[in-house]
Amino acid sequence: MTTMTPPAPTRAPARVPLLRRLGTVLLAHPIVRTLGPFVPFLLIWWAVAATGSVNAAFFAGPGEVWQSFTELVRKGMMPSYLGDSLERLAYGVGFGLLIGLPLGFVVALSSWARRLTWPLLLFFQAIADIAWLPILIVWFGFSLTSVTFVIVYTVVFPLMLGIVAGVDQVPRELVNAARSLGAGRLRVFFEVIVPGSLPAVASGVRTGLGYGWRALIAAEIIVGTSGIGFMMFDARRAGEVSQVFLGMIVLGVLWYALDALILAPFERATVERWGLVRQMEAAR
Amino acid sequence: MTTIDSPARTVGRVRRPGPRRGSEAVWFVVPFVLLVAIWWLVVEVTGTTARTFPQVTDVIAALAEMAASGDLARHLGASLQRMLIGAVLAVVTAIPFGIALGSSPRLSAFFSPLLRFSVALAGIAWIPIATLWLGYGDRAVIFIVWNAMFFALTYNTVLGVQQIPVQTVRAARSMGTRGPRIVWEVLLPGALPSIVTGLRIGLGYGWRGLVAAEIIATNAGLGYALFLAQSQFDTGVIIASMVIIGVLWLLMDRLLLAPLERRTVERWGMKAVS
Amino acid sequence: MNTLEINNLRKEYVDHYTGETIPAIGEVTFSIGEGEFVSVLGPSGCGKTTVLNIVAGFIDHTAGDVLVHGKSVHGPGPDRGVVFQSHALFPWKTVLGNVTFGLRMKGVPRVERERAAADILELVGLSGFERKYPHELSGGMQQRLGLARVLVNEPEVMLMDEPFASIDAQTRRKLQQDLTEIFEKRRPTVFFVTHDIDEAVFLSDRVVVLSARPSTVAEIIDVDLPRPRTWRETVEDPRFREYTHHIEERLGGGEPDAQAG
Repeated sequence: MTTMTPPAPTRAPARVPLLRRLGTVLLAHPIVRTLGPFVPFLLIWWAVAATGSVNAAFFAGPGEVWQSFTELVRKGMMPSYLGDSLERLAYGVGFGLLIGLPLGFVVALSSWARRLTWPLLLFFQAIADIAWLPILIVWFGFSLTSVTFVIVYTVVFPLMLGIVAGVDQVPRELVNAARSLGAGRLRVFFEVIVPGSLPAVASGVRTGLGYGWRALIAAEIIVGTSGIGFMMFDARRAGEVSQVFLGMIVLGVLWYALDALILAPFERATVERWGLVRQMEAAR
Repeated sequence: MTTIDSPARTVGRVRRPGPRRGSEAVWFVVPFVLLVAIWWLVVEVTGTTARTFPQVTDVIAALAEMAASGDLARHLGASLQRMLIGAVLAVVTAIPFGIALGSSPRLSAFFSPLLRFSVALAGIAWIPIATLWLGYGDRAVIFIVWNAMFFALTYNTVLGVQQIPVQTVRAARSMGTRGPRIVWEVLLPGALPSIVTGLRIGLGYGWRGLVAAEIIATNAGLGYALFLAQSQFDTGVIIASMVIIGVLWLLMDRLLLAPLERRTVERWGMKAVS
Repeated sequence: MNTLEINNLRKEYVDHYTGETIPAIGEVTFSIGEGEFVSVLGPSGCGKTTVLNIVAGFIDHTAGDVLVHGKSVHGPGPDRGVVFQSHALFPWKTVLGNVTFGLRMKGVPRVERERAAADILELVGLSGFERKYPHELSGGMQQRLGLARVLVNEPEVMLMDEPFASIDAQTRRKLQQDLTEIFEKRRPTVFFVTHDIDEAVFLSDRVVVLSARPSTVAEIIDVDLPRPRTWRETVEDPRFREYTHHIEERLGGGEPDAQAG
């Protein structure tokens, strides 16, 4: 991006007050920028709860939610439920990637495989993952297997569709260039097609995880043995509003962490690097 | 997000066999025929009982019975009505909100982390609170559909408005466009590629939210039919309901989203860049 | 009275990070008479587009006045039509929809709108393309449409921001020729921004040469070449070469980073 900077302008002495400058610099800080909007949100939440205008059976303030958080942590329920949810998600996503990645490339690269499976892929993607839960319960009972299976299912299809779209996006010229430079089929695959399709693969992973995440919550509510989803629904049955609120916040924070620690770095390594290449081409 | 193209439009190394539409249709049907044949054969050969997995004929029989008893119409009607109400509510709330937010760069930059947080939570995670607030029934399900779509649609509308080139807005202003007309003439059509993407993502979340909420919170609808059949170990109805859910989504995509895209975004040469 | 007057125009930016004030336009004064074609020429990044954006009302200025027919300018308005470098056509409107947009905003009835549009499309050579969408046109045709969209409103002054800069060399020549013919037929008042010296001299009655940032008017040159002009004849004219050489020296002399941007 540095290439885009205009020629150094002649700088005149500062005229903006120090305080305002501090403000703009502070506002530009990533942590402030990320957490900023949550501050007014929290304040409004707190204010609504403090006025007591909403029936306490339907609404919990930040204080109560914090209380039930510390309580659940002390009792060990929160860590154990959280662990269960994350474990299921990890298994589901892990198996989903293991199955989806190779199958995706096979479908993308083999014309026969694609002809035979493409309509099926679209159809199975169309059967909402949660609709699989009843038949899975018939097969595996109310168990971890059922939950994991649903997540695998939600991850595999968007991933495969993403890979096909990604491979199709790789310009033919790049493949031809690599071949004329003496690369064999296997090397073309690993050196050109795989990296070239990564941006679309990344977005497939993101879509899959987004769905998988929801499927996990739904499955935990329906299968109902443990996990954050179960905790929320159980609390709802018992009328513990603050735990329902807590569950939602935990889920949100968890997704945020997942996004910031795993998805975003992966995308930066692929999508944005590609984006940068394109931008430089455009600037020229 | 990538929009997944239908095979005819992809520019891949795999060329579809010629432009003949007839052969396209055949190639769309063949895999399904094969799948059903394998299904029939496997169940027949392994002697799987209907308690584990139904034979093809069981599913057809279940479908016929659901249709004859009026259950199919009842469940289908309930689900589609909820989906429609939720989706319409989401469209009329999220798009104006997204445009309002998007037209102020500061406001949208400030709120976008909160929005992304909400997109991640939208839909299914609200089921407990929705049933608490609105009770078990239609209202909770409609709320879930609306909620699942609202944030994804708002977020993508904001993105769409931000992506409109500044020159396009300036061009309209310099020709005397003011106030609400800017929204109608420039911001809405300009953001449409992204809005359509948001609609696609949102409908996907909404559809899943609908099924989940129906399983949990109602006594009618496709999700409920699934749930009921599961408690009776009626695998024929389970598979039949799943097929209906899949077909409905494909129809929604082909009859609603695809034509919308063809008539607007593609016609205008504004296909969203992923 | 001049159609457009720019008096002692100044523009400074405040860098929000450092809080420093960066002068973009030092002091610019010039005017454009009725039916006159004036080019503003300067090295890349010198702020000539900034001047145009201020006149168009897209950005505020720090000091000075912009007057159209003696009246001070606030915000964008249909009295000043803008032709953008990126053409800024509405991709969701057909050729006809784009051309009639401004008239529709003014509340001109449909029949009149379409008659006016037909005339203008004929003039710019786009008859028969009414039902096409912008993305179906070539780059040159898109820019003709951008021109037509403004011409049809008959603005007091047309502001053209390097309209041919991103068009291939051959088409550009043709467009310049066509623009000259349209100008000679209709005599609109034109404020034309460019960094192409030949283009400026060929098209203009006067050329305003800006210095590098913070820009000031380095020189105003009256182009005394006969009209109607054609590229073929004008290039042959020794005065054309004199003008371009003179401006080249003027620009090349002072500014080391004329290439930047």
